[in-house]
Amino acid sequence: MSDAHLDSAVLATLRVVMEDEYPVLLDTFLKDSEERVRLLHQACAVSDAYLLRQTAHSFKGSCSNMGAPLLTELCRELEDSARREQLDGANELIGQIEREFAIVRILMRAERQRFGASG
Amino acid sequence: MPLRLTILIAEDNPADRMLLSTIVSREGHRVLTAANGIEAVSLFRQERPQLVLMDALMPVMDGFEAARQIKALAGDELVPIIFLTSLAENEALARCLEAGGDDFVAKPYNRIILAAKIGAMDRLRRLQATVRQQRDLISRQHQQLLREQEVAKAIFDKVAHAGCLDAPNIRYRQSPLALFNGDLLLAAQTPTGRMFVLLGDFTGHGLPAAIGAMPLAETFYGMAAKGYSSSDLLREMNAKLKRILPVGVFCCATLLDLSFDKRTVDVWSGGLPDGYLLCANGTRVPLKSRHLPLGVLEPEAFVARFEPHTLAEGDRVLLLSDGVVESCNAQNELFGEARLLAVIDANREPLRLLEEIVEALLAFHGQAQDDLSLVEIDVDGQPGPMPIQASYVGAVQPSPLDWSGSLLLRGETLRDYNPLPALLHLLLQVVELRRHAGRVFAVLAELYANALEHGVLGLDSALKVDADGFARYYRLREQRLSALRDGWIEIDLRVEPEDHGGCLRIGVRDSGAGFDIARALAEQPATGKLSGRGLALVRELSDGCAADADGRGVSVEFRWRREA
Amino acid sequence: MSISSQPADDGRELIIHIQGRFDFSTHQAFRDAYQNVSVTPRRYVVDLKEATYLDSSALGMLLLLRDHAGGDDADIHLINCNADVRKILSISNFEQLFKID
Repeated sequence: MSDAHLDSAVLATLRVVMEDEYPVLLDTFLKDSEERVRLLHQACAVSDAYLLRQTAHSFKGSCSNMGAPLLTELCRELEDSARREQLDGANELIGQIEREFAIVRILMRAERQRFGASG
Repeated sequence: MPLRLTILIAEDNPADRMLLSTIVSREGHRVLTAANGIEAVSLFRQERPQLVLMDALMPVMDGFEAARQIKALAGDELVPIIFLTSLAENEALARCLEAGGDDFVAKPYNRIILAAKIGAMDRLRRLQATVRQQRDLISRQHQQLLREQEVAKAIFDKVAHAGCLDAPNIRYRQSPLALFNGDLLLAAQTPTGRMFVLLGDFTGHGLPAAIGAMPLAETFYGMAAKGYSSSDLLREMNAKLKRILPVGVFCCATLLDLSFDKRTVDVWSGGLPDGYLLCANGTRVPLKSRHLPLGVLEPEAFVARFEPHTLAEGDRVLLLSDGVVESCNAQNELFGEARLLAVIDANREPLRLLEEIVEALLAFHGQAQDDLSLVEIDVDGQPGPMPIQASYVGAVQPSPLDWSGSLLLRGETLRDYNPLPALLHLLLQVVELRRHAGRVFAVLAELYANALEHGVLGLDSALKVDADGFARYYRLREQRLSALRDGWIEIDLRVEPEDHGGCLRIGVRDSGAGFDIARALAEQPATGKLSGRGLALVRELSDGCAADADGRGVSVEFRWRREA
Repeated sequence: MSISSQPADDGRELIIHIQGRFDFSTHQAFRDAYQNVSVTPRRYVVDLKEATYLDSSALGMLLLLRDHAGGDDADIHLINCNADVRKILSISNFEQLFKID
């Protein structure tokens, strides 16, 4: 697994912190992230810079907590341009985020398989 | 390890919220979670958590507004708010602080840093709670102290104002809390129409300084009303304070004994700064402290020696506590005697003197002093004998209306003993006489003084022609009195009922050579003369007055009609 | 403010030095200066050379020392009094109780 997509050291720490709840945390993140991606598209379609910024900010926070460095960085870029109200490259960035999230999701589901029976 | 706290987590992102609440509860705390600002405020209201972890950007109500509302609800209790935000943005950081944020935590969360920050905030919170509790305790105790002082002062004022501080010839200024700086001011008229004024200053501050004032005032008023002399009073006050005060606590005091009809003031001063006799002709006589304060010496060692001064029309006596001359301003300069004397010298309107002194002190210090006592007494406007206050002469009993008695005082008894208070007490058993107590007592005191000074001691009142002679007279009186071995004075009292009333006859005889009392009685007192007022007073105040043929005795009568 | 004491003359004398303000705040220190000493002096000397101020509480403390030193039999000298201190002592007529040099 490449740590650029999903940092195994962070995951190891989360396993220790969450104990039995670890799979639930992964599920919660994945479910919420799908919702964030959907919201990003929606905000971009209506050129809502504030919603875009807030969604990117929140997404960035959870990506950093869950150990997804590339995804965190992409969210930061999007948040920055939304704060500067520069939405020209937003569509392209959201596409990158979506592709990176697809990779993170695959890696995380594999992690989920390995450590969780529940769900 | 901090104690178990209730911690509110406000975070809209479900994964972050879950992670954070797991970290915090693993640290042993109880966790409440909210997904937006409104939920956070309402949870705070219900549960009053001790600490808040708050995301800045949240839907519905953001973290800044929620923080402001929570801080407002918390009042003066410190509820630390830690903002969950990256520190990258200066503007957001400033907004967090403005909204009342106490610290920041950045994502990704680090368990160790989070625990350390929660611990630090909890210590801060508890420190503030302790300070607040102590502040409230001090404030409550201070309030109670003020209430107690108010009550104590109200009680004391009742006692202190039992006298004649409000007499038209007395002016005084006292700071409201002067009592709690140990100051006290008492004034009483005696049954003979003399006036005693006492300005005292106990050592120390607060209640210990105020507490001695009460027994002192009681003694002062009680003995003044019963007709004791000022030296008896002084000795008793000293003995009482010596008995009740701990070593090291004492009362600096000046006692004035004023006689308005004789125009004299006798001064005893121990420990207070100079008072002044301000003469109408512009001269200023300092009244110096010549004795140890009251309550220092054992009764056997205490000497109640007064300095006599004669007075002229328009003269005034000024007394001050050490709060006047010994007070320091912010530059640590003393107000001092020189400044005081300058104010006195600059005074043009006598009635405004005290005000001018107080104003000068205020200008010097920039604020009011709380240990200020000043009193000024005019020697004009003689108030006359006072009715005796029933509260100081005992309860009412059936009145003895038909009796007589005789008292013979011999030799050394005449030297040391003053029989007048005992006689007054006896006469006041006759209820009907109480209304006349002032004049009866003034006459009795005058006759006794005449018998002692002119009769037994053979002093010539002609000596008292001027101030020097007056002083010589009193020196001679002291000398002869201390050498006295023989001689006697006899006092007869006879109370008889009459139709619709009664009659008191007083006879006073002495062992002296006798003199032409009849002529002295017939004489009009010369104005400005220091002698001769005594017998005129007797004639004026009694209802009948006759001299014995041998010039060694006088009899007077008082008559009263029974009230319907 | 500081108060210190030292025995002299083979312990027959105790010298107490007063520095700065001599008022109620020095109450305990002044008592310690004559109570916490191993010697039993016959004579006490209070050196007021460096005392800047003296109030009525200080007079009270001097009376306490006098009491401790035997009351009327006490032998207490107040030395190096400046003019202000001397004035306060003389208003209270303390020269009747202490030897003021």
